[in-house]
Amino acid sequence: MAAGGAGSNKTYSFKVVLLGEGCVGKTSLVLRYCENKFNDKHITTLQASFLTKKLNIAGKRVNLAIWDTAGQERFHALGPIYYRDSNGAVLVYDITDEDSFQKVKNWVKELRKMLGNEICLCIVGNKIDLDKDRHVSVDEAERYAESVGAKHYHTSAKLNKGIEELFLDLCKRMMENAQADERLKGNGSSQSASSWRGVQIVDDDPQATPAGGCCSSG
Amino acid sequence: MKLSLQRQMMENLIIARARQDALQRKMEERRLRLQEEANRRFAASGAMTVEEQEQRRLYTNVLEYEQDHDWPKLWKTSMKEYPDDVTLAPRLVSYLLSRSDHPVVKLLRKHQYSVYNRLYPIISSAAAHSPAPQPTPSHSDHSLLQTGQSTAVSSSPSPSRHNLHTSGEDEEEEEEPHTQALVEREHSFEDLEQFLTNLDWTPPEGSRIDDLCSDSNLTFDPAVLKECQVQELEMRALKEHLKAVVKDIHIAIDQLLSLALLSFECLNTAASKDLCLACIEEAFFTPLWTALVALFRKVNVEREQAFQSSMTLYREASPRDVGVSIKLFPPEPGTLQGSYPYECAVLELKLLLNDYCPQKKLECLIRTLRMICACAEDYRSLHDGDASPTTAAIGADDLLPILSFVALRSQCPQLVSECAALEEFIHEGYLIGEEGYCLTSLQSSLAYVESLHAAGAQLPPDTLL
Repeated sequence: MAAGGAGSNKTYSFKVVLLGEGCVGKTSLVLRYCENKFNDKHITTLQASFLTKKLNIAGKRVNLAIWDTAGQERFHALGPIYYRDSNGAVLVYDITDEDSFQKVKNWVKELRKMLGNEICLCIVGNKIDLDKDRHVSVDEAERYAESVGAKHYHTSAKLNKGIEELFLDLCKRMMENAQADERLKGNGSSQSASSWRGVQIVDDDPQATPAGGCCSSG
Repeated sequence: MKLSLQRQMMENLIIARARQDALQRKMEERRLRLQEEANRRFAASGAMTVEEQEQRRLYTNVLEYEQDHDWPKLWKTSMKEYPDDVTLAPRLVSYLLSRSDHPVVKLLRKHQYSVYNRLYPIISSAAAHSPAPQPTPSHSDHSLLQTGQSTAVSSSPSPSRHNLHTSGEDEEEEEEPHTQALVEREHSFEDLEQFLTNLDWTPPEGSRIDDLCSDSNLTFDPAVLKECQVQELEMRALKEHLKAVVKDIHIAIDQLLSLALLSFECLNTAASKDLCLACIEEAFFTPLWTALVALFRKVNVEREQAFQSSMTLYREASPRDVGVSIKLFPPEPGTLQGSYPYECAVLELKLLLNDYCPQKKLECLIRTLRMICACAEDYRSLHDGDASPTTAAIGADDLLPILSFVALRSQCPQLVSECAALEEFIHEGYLIGEEGYCLTSLQSSLAYVESLHAAGAQLPPDTLL
């Protein structure tokens, strides 16, 4: 997984969960993002459920793992195990469907409760190609997003609008978070297993810890 | 004549003794020298913890071993000579693990033995109470080790409440059958068994249930407490025991990996390290998994029962009944000719029980989910003809209902416990990858299946969501 190499010695690995009701178009959205113009090999054999994308942002390598979640109510009991260790969440609603926006609000509450402020939230109003049928006002959505510390985006999977920007922005925010996290921890402090927060250090230093191998192996 | 013979014998004896002394002195000198070398190696750290002392001792053993054996040197040289040969590292690791006298392998056996010892009293009590014709200790042991995965729960859906109290007394009597039973176990336990007889089996203190209870401050008098309370306490003790065993396993594997890397520094690169870990894990878990999962099954007995009930209730269910979109299974069952939708995925998922190492199981799980996606695509094309094949791919909204259907059809309540165990032993690095995603999806589907029987036959009509 970790591709070591010269130059930058760090690869960020981020987990992003994708949330939204059944018909809001989250599958199309993420497929749009991962079907690269130059290379459509990004689509894994798990199709749209689990996608990965490798990026290079400001000279840093970023591995993105996008986890789709089921929108149906009956699978919600186990929702929290999907969110675990997420660095970001993309919450999609359909601008023509007020109800789907309410669902987003519920997820925001749950995510904040579980992951606190460490997770970067993106609230996404999809299907802006259907603006004439809009049922969620731009103003309301943006105000809500701000009130919960999330960013709001407008996209159209159909027209391939706003998607690239959404994910790029999210990656940058997650990188900032990770860097702030590193600074906070300092460099030499012991990283326990649970402190895996998306930062993967590709360690090329051969003899970093010859003795203390008992504590953590990765 | 007689006198001279006697004198000669005496002299021989003295010579022999002198030789032995010299040898011993030499051994001792060597030991000290190696100890110093090990000390130098670890000199960087100031105050030593118990683990570091242990590590140092083990490393001394490695150095000692390398004095007596040439192969480590030879391997190190060829690793240096051919740094680009990617086949060398895996060959070295498997060679290392095949040398039963190497300190790494000795440590591996020691840890396996101690984990098995902690599992044994608990899983054997489950077997002793299974409806075997003659519940003598040796018989129950046989059934335990032979029937493997199905012992703990499925053979006795309501495990006796009192076995925990009797198991303590059984322990001494079971010493003999224990070793015998181990011989019965397939070759994978042969080494362990050998190790066991060399060591004289003494049950470690921590593995006794009574101690277990006092460890966790659960002092109680069975006669006074109501049965349900006893059950509750028992479950709590079991859960704590499980937690402790899991922790021990993690520590053991970490220790094994670092000793292996200390022995062969040339393996200390990102790729070789992963490989080394995978091999160690496979060697570690393979003989233990059956016993380990038996403990997980005891802890998860209620969840498995729920799964079983749903399974019975939904035996003939169609994909539609668990919310699979109409487009994602064949319109008429007849089109499949004696088979049922997603059968290949069901068969693949069942194979998960045949692997005995977490990594292998996760690979099996990935194959299952990939098959589901491939089948779903095929079924969709049955509906659509060739029109618009790329517009919609399988997302989680489709995947989870199908996976639930596949889990139901697999008829394996044990999957519940297998998943619980996998969650404990999956690598951190894999947690956010495809492995982690597949495991999370299966757990989610299993939880849904478990909840099905409570909802009764009337499924909530949210299948259109």
